[in-house]
Amino acid sequence: MKQKLIIGLSLISLLIVIVFMAKDFFRGSNRSQTNPYEYKLDNLKHIDPELITYSEINQIKPGIINPIAIAIDGKDQIYVSGENKVVKYNSEGNQILTFDIDSSSYCINVNSSEEIYISMLDHIEVRNPDGTVKAVWEVINERAVITSIATTDEFVFAADAGNKIVYQYDLKGQIIKEIGKKDTLTGAPGFIIPSPYFDLLIGTQGKLWLVNPGRHAFENYDFNGNLISSWNRTSMLLEGFSGCCNPSHIALLSDGSYVTSEKGLERVKIHSPNGDFKTVVASPDSFEEGTSGLDLAVDSKDRIYVLDPVKKLIRIFEKK
Amino acid sequence: MKKSLSIIFLLIIFSIQIYNVIAIQRFPKPEFESGHTQPPTLTPSPRAQALDILDVFVLAAALSIVSWLVIKKRSRKGVFWMSVFAVLYFGIFREGCVCSVGSLQNVTLALFNPEYSIPLTVIAFFILPLVYTLFFGRTFCAGVCPLGTLQDIFALRPMSIKSWLEKVLGVIPFIYLGLAVLYAATGTDFIVCRYDPFVGFFRFEGTFMMFIIGGLLLLIGVFIARPYCRFLCPYGALLNLVSRFSRKHITITPAECINCKLCEDSCPFEAINKPVVLKDKEEKPIASRRFIFISVIIPLLVLIGGFTASQFHENLAIVNPKVRLAKELINNTNYGEPNEEAFEITAFKSAGQSKEELYKEAAEITNQFYIGGWILGGFLGLVFGFTLLSLSVFRYREDYTPNKGTCISCARCVDYCPVLPEDRSL
Repeated sequence: MKQKLIIGLSLISLLIVIVFMAKDFFRGSNRSQTNPYEYKLDNLKHIDPELITYSEINQIKPGIINPIAIAIDGKDQIYVSGENKVVKYNSEGNQILTFDIDSSSYCINVNSSEEIYISMLDHIEVRNPDGTVKAVWEVINERAVITSIATTDEFVFAADAGNKIVYQYDLKGQIIKEIGKKDTLTGAPGFIIPSPYFDLLIGTQGKLWLVNPGRHAFENYDFNGNLISSWNRTSMLLEGFSGCCNPSHIALLSDGSYVTSEKGLERVKIHSPNGDFKTVVASPDSFEEGTSGLDLAVDSKDRIYVLDPVKKLIRIFEKK
Repeated sequence: MKKSLSIIFLLIIFSIQIYNVIAIQRFPKPEFESGHTQPPTLTPSPRAQALDILDVFVLAAALSIVSWLVIKKRSRKGVFWMSVFAVLYFGIFREGCVCSVGSLQNVTLALFNPEYSIPLTVIAFFILPLVYTLFFGRTFCAGVCPLGTLQDIFALRPMSIKSWLEKVLGVIPFIYLGLAVLYAATGTDFIVCRYDPFVGFFRFEGTFMMFIIGGLLLLIGVFIARPYCRFLCPYGALLNLVSRFSRKHITITPAECINCKLCEDSCPFEAINKPVVLKDKEEKPIASRRFIFISVIIPLLVLIGGFTASQFHENLAIVNPKVRLAKELINNTNYGEPNEEAFEITAFKSAGQSKEELYKEAAEITNQFYIGGWILGGFLGLVFGFTLLSLSVFRYREDYTPNKGTCISCARCVDYCPVLPEDRSL
């Protein structure tokens, strides 16, 4: 009797399983009501206001069709480049110079002599402080995409996102070294650059700092091309960087902290020299969705200049 | 010696694992600290090609060993330990994919869709068990298939069910086989994989439904041994057919059957044919008349089955995502979602295909289901017909013999047989 009951119950359970599978398949309940693969960033776009310690104090609207790059010199003069044009402002935000360039520029930098370095995709133009051409440095190759330039009194460094390498130039425009090539002997990991965002700067101790965006990492090299140190922070939270390749741009504060801008999650933050998150400058709410390429610059008062290519504005942030 | 060989074998297996470690992660994995949960998928991550090839060798080796254990050694113990190995290797280590059961869909899709490129390893997983079955019976089911062996381990208190019920429920795998082939051929879905009950256990992840179905089947399997193999498995249905022609099938007794009846209740799968005494035989004219009658109605059953199933072609086709999308657009029902646009419709709009093109495509697929419905129904009519025929035919038997179709060659029965191989000469 007991055996019959167990068999009966087992068979009924088996039939329930079969009927359930058939119903699930034919009645379409296998379609989830929401897309399970949907990648929602909404929660991450909201940032606790207490963590935002900077406020926007001013905006400058540069008269450039597509502003792309920004730089600030030692006198806090602002340089903005974009499609066929470069505009220079004094520290008060008044336009003092404008000159034409042949094509769209990818980045801009100014040295201590106020000479302007402009990347034109595959080569670099050096301009005098009045905007006249001083030198045109040779075309590297057809794959080159120069996305960032940094200068010292002896060298010029150019980050090439296309060839995934950094070139060290002398002041005459001769390439004297390639930095950052993958090397298993020295431990250099090589750059992972899936999109044309590859920034660099000269740190407070006079060393070269590069972003390895595919690894969400900052890497520190000496001028001989040796990797000295690095840190990486991968996180969708404020503590790090996320997506295929971030941060897209960086700038340096006087205390050695790094200002970073990201795409995907459009935000501007500050990380301490060892990589730890410090504070938020601008939250994703401050930018149009999909904004990418927020170039950064910092003046002598540690005010942060964000070039917003969608709103076509220079946006100036100051600590509250 | 055996121990050393085992250690060497395990070392080889684990050293191959290093192959994956060598691969450097180019990009950091995306972080999902936002609470995003990755949805479980039907297929695991792709395996290294070397491992794929190894899998085929392991499959062939496992089939050979189990066949040897069953046919030559007649060792239930050996088959049991091979079952444990199958669960560990083909189940957990390989994450249950691709398995021979599911591979029949890949093969079907490859036959009907020239754009689909089927890996050779998948073909091997489909063909090898069939070939071994043709020679040695269902030794694949006995100790190689991870789905079957997992259930076998859970068959702790097997009870017998009525043979008529076994026959009736035994038709379900053929229905499942027909549907699996139909949906694979039309590129709609791999339903065997979607409703694979045990893959969640092998991967330690899966949908809630997967675990419920799998858990329930294992629980049922404690009392009704291998419920999935017997009453659902579509590949088992294929092996059932092939095994009937097997050249060297397991026998209960190694020599002459002495009709001691000790093995009578040993099979938890009701796969032992008992001797039929001659007096039970029907009068020849009655049996012949019934045989002729059923033989005549089989074509009729095929036609009725084909016609009936073809009438349901729209119901069958609605599972196809394109047909469903077309229907939702025509009826403007938005998948029943009242608030926001269904993501399928959003995806369709962003893909740039026109509605007319979609409707045309959906109509073509529906027509495929009409033809497929005829074939499916006809096939099921044939199965019903032959089942009826097999029930009606009287087969005179003097010995206890395994049913070559339903016997899974687990070798349980051989332990009950008191006849020794040496008795052959008697």
